Amino acid sequence: MVKSMNPENFENLRLELRRGCLVLAVLTALRTEQYGYTLRKSLAEHGLAIDEGTLYPLLRRLEGQGLLTSEWREEDKRNKRFYCLSGDGKQILKQLLAEWQNIDLSLRAVLKEQSHGTSRTLLAGR
Amino acid sequence: MELLERYLQAVKFWLPRQQKQDIIAELSEDIHSEIEEKETELGRPLTEVEIETILKQRGRPMLVANRYLPQEHLIGPVLFPIYRFVLKIVLLCYLVPWVLVWIGLLIFNSGYRAEHTGPAWISALGSTWGSLWFAAFVAAGTVTLIFAILERAQAKSGFLGDWDPHKLPPVRNPNLIPRASSVFELCVGMIFCLWWTANMHSPTLLNLPSLRISLSSEWRYFYWGFLILALVNISLAGVNLMRPYWTGLRATFRLLSDVAGIALFFWLLKANLLVEIAATTVSAQKAAELTRAINSVWMPRMLPAVVILAVVIAVVDVFRIVRVKMSDVRPASTGKFAVMA
Repeated sequence: MVKSMNPENFENLRLELRRGCLVLAVLTALRTEQYGYTLRKSLAEHGLAIDEGTLYPLLRRLEGQGLLTSEWREEDKRNKRFYCLSGDGKQILKQLLAEWQNIDLSLRAVLKEQSHGTSRTLLAGR
Repeated sequence: MELLERYLQAVKFWLPRQQKQDIIAELSEDIHSEIEEKETELGRPLTEVEIETILKQRGRPMLVANRYLPQEHLIGPVLFPIYRFVLKIVLLCYLVPWVLVWIGLLIFNSGYRAEHTGPAWISALGSTWGSLWFAAFVAAGTVTLIFAILERAQAKSGFLGDWDPHKLPPVRNPNLIPRASSVFELCVGMIFCLWWTANMHSPTLLNLPSLRISLSSEWRYFYWGFLILALVNISLAGVNLMRPYWTGLRATFRLLSDVAGIALFFWLLKANLLVEIAATTVSAQKAAELTRAINSVWMPRMLPAVVILAVVIAVVDVFRIVRVKMSDVRPASTGKFAVMA
């Protein structure tokens, strides 16, 4: 039986869709060195808001995988941890961006085909 | 800022030991940055209420710390469906017979009933059900422990990743009768008939110099009744062997023969069939006492077990008929054993 549209379902699916994209966005943003707070702000300004409870564990995970490097440095009289893409991270980012482009192209092709199919069905129904 | 220090301390408590300092330093810096930005915006220091709002937005300390911990589970998604299945079976195999026996005792055992329905029935019931739940808890705990160990083993060796589609069980047809089961029924039925006609024809079951056991003349009804039932079952097994699938008619026959067998056995237990036991080593008085005890004590004691067995058999037989009828109603599948009415 089909359940009625549930806003919670949409939210869960939206988060699932965004999860992979956020990794890509973080890696892309860290081509230039940044610390956590400014990274979060810059992502939010580009429409990719990410809460700190997600960002910092993600940064640690990516660093653990060798894709990022980090360094504690003093700035504005406070110690801050600056993150930057590592050599391996750059390679992976290149591959991930290519993969993302492929997914984007495939999805667009599917959407295009579907919209043509829908048009044909609508025309046939007239 | 005391509130902030308290918050950081609470988060720190749940963090892994090696990373505590590092994570807290970074988290502290992030919160300070947010506070500083807000203060710049407002042109004044934040009030305690405003700091409280920021901390609330960040979430409960334990949840914040939890995001830094590796994802852990006792039983993972690979084994969980099997775990749930085994747990259900274990609990069902334990709880259902236990409840049936308990109901049987309550109905048929007057001593047990007296103990559990008197003034102290609440405490008696509590102790009875307490032992049941304790044993169920131990069973569930044991299953969980075994699966937790399997999960660790599976995580290390990945033994569930190696599988062969050819080793999957064949497509299940619940209405199919295994030929081996029909052959078994045929053999057992024939052996029973041979033994029955050779040894149980006369009401004098044993007539040895040292021991004689005699039954009443009513025995002939049981003799012929059980023999006819055995022959019916042999015929049914023969048909099942040739046509190895249940039909509504045959399933109904099985139900009727089982009900007749149970009724006959029930009557046997209440019929006071035993007339005489005579043994050279036992005095006549003792033999008479033994005869009376078998007729009026031992036989009736078997009644609860027979009733429980009867209920189980009847439920299985009725379920089989319903299943056959349901598969008749469903759209025909492509299976070669589709039920033929």
